[in-house]
Amino acid sequence: MTAMSCAEAEDLLGAYALEALPEDEMHRVEEHLRTCAEHRAIAGELRRTTLMLPLTVEDGDPSPDLRTRIVEAVKATPAQPAAPRARGTTVAPRRQISRLSTWAARSSRFAVAAVVALALGIGGLIGYQLGHAGQTQVTYAFLGDATAAPGAEARLVYFKDRKQAVVAATGLPRLTSGQVYEMWLIKDGVPVDKGISSSPTGDIGAPLSGDLSQFQQFAITIEPGEQQLPTTKPILVGNLQAG
Amino acid sequence: MAARLKRGETTAIESLYDRYGRLAYGLAFRILNERGAAEDVVQDAFVSVWRNAAGFDASRGSLRNWLFSIVRNRAIDRLRGSTRIRSEIDLADAEPRAQVPDAWEAVALDLERKQIQEGFGELPDPQRRTLELAYFGGYTHVEIASRMHVPLGTVKSRMRIGLEKMRTFLTARGVMA
Ligand SMILES: [Zn+2]
Repeated sequence: MTAMSCAEAEDLLGAYALEALPEDEMHRVEEHLRTCAEHRAIAGELRRTTLMLPLTVEDGDPSPDLRTRIVEAVKATPAQPAAPRARGTTVAPRRQISRLSTWAARSSRFAVAAVVALALGIGGLIGYQLGHAGQTQVTYAFLGDATAAPGAEARLVYFKDRKQAVVAATGLPRLTSGQVYEMWLIKDGVPVDKGISSSPTGDIGAPLSGDLSQFQQFAITIEPGEQQLPTTKPILVGNLQAG
Repeated sequence: MAARLKRGETTAIESLYDRYGRLAYGLAFRILNERGAAEDVVQDAFVSVWRNAAGFDASRGSLRNWLFSIVRNRAIDRLRGSTRIRSEIDLADAEPRAQVPDAWEAVALDLERKQIQEGFGELPDPQRRTLELAYFGGYTHVEIASRMHVPLGTVKSRMRIGLEKMRTFLTARGVMA
């Protein structure tokens, strides 16, 4: 069995990604991929595409007791400790949402929020918050997605008594023509449109109305114009129930 | 959810089932076309996820893809009456995946499904049919060539081009990175 050439591998990668190769041929492709970074990368992309195929299927209607049977089977099955094959089982750190502790230190970066707040007549409350643990308001800090919006940050200050919030974001990826930033509050998994911004600078300062205690998450997406539901993954998203 | 699963919380399996159970069953039924067998496969797959959760590494792929791969592979093995040897080469380094809160995953799932279905639906029939026979039928390229009465080279390029088109479509819509 001779080593597989790049041309031969190229020809088989689609079938390889779909697991549609007989075993001997599959092993020969594997052998090639171990030493060829270029085809390994292509195989990875095709494989990831294959992993989308289950989502072309419609929901089925299993019998209602399937859930019970699974839960019982699981309770009767001890989970195995991490096997040696699991390389680095640490889950990638989630973009944690921390309560803001350094608002004052960074307030200049979020001056835009202060302007919006003043326009809403709640500037005094921000001042209040600087010196006190807020009784009537709560501040959340969010970090941008590590891939889609590295370096982006947002602060959301919620004024409980007014049922009104102010969002300030900075360092968002720049928009291209026709795009907007769209803000969302998410309630029980359903995103509710909370307005758009087409800021050319990657900074947003905007009011957000509504009773935030009804919502579990805040998110920003980049959309091709205002949408009723997001059409893209969020560039920034985080929990509102941190504290 | 993955973290709860790794800690061995059985409620995590319930959450996982509530989110993906019907789709997992839909997938198994699509392959096996028989209720009892499809339910067995789904049950096995969830128990397998539970048993091996400690080794799950979220930086190398999503819980969802892992679950569906198990369902698919077990269903195909059952359909074909044998346990197929599968490639174990690690391609996960090609899978950068942003971590998003669970609630967003639920939202994203609906959106992604619509787009994936649209992308799949836009493939020319012969390409789509070829991908279906491979993925949901478990046929090899040679078997597909004989079923579709086309040369093997045609099957191989339909597979490759079909996947590439899906990928281009999904990348343009932000479903894939
Ligand atoms: Zn090569």
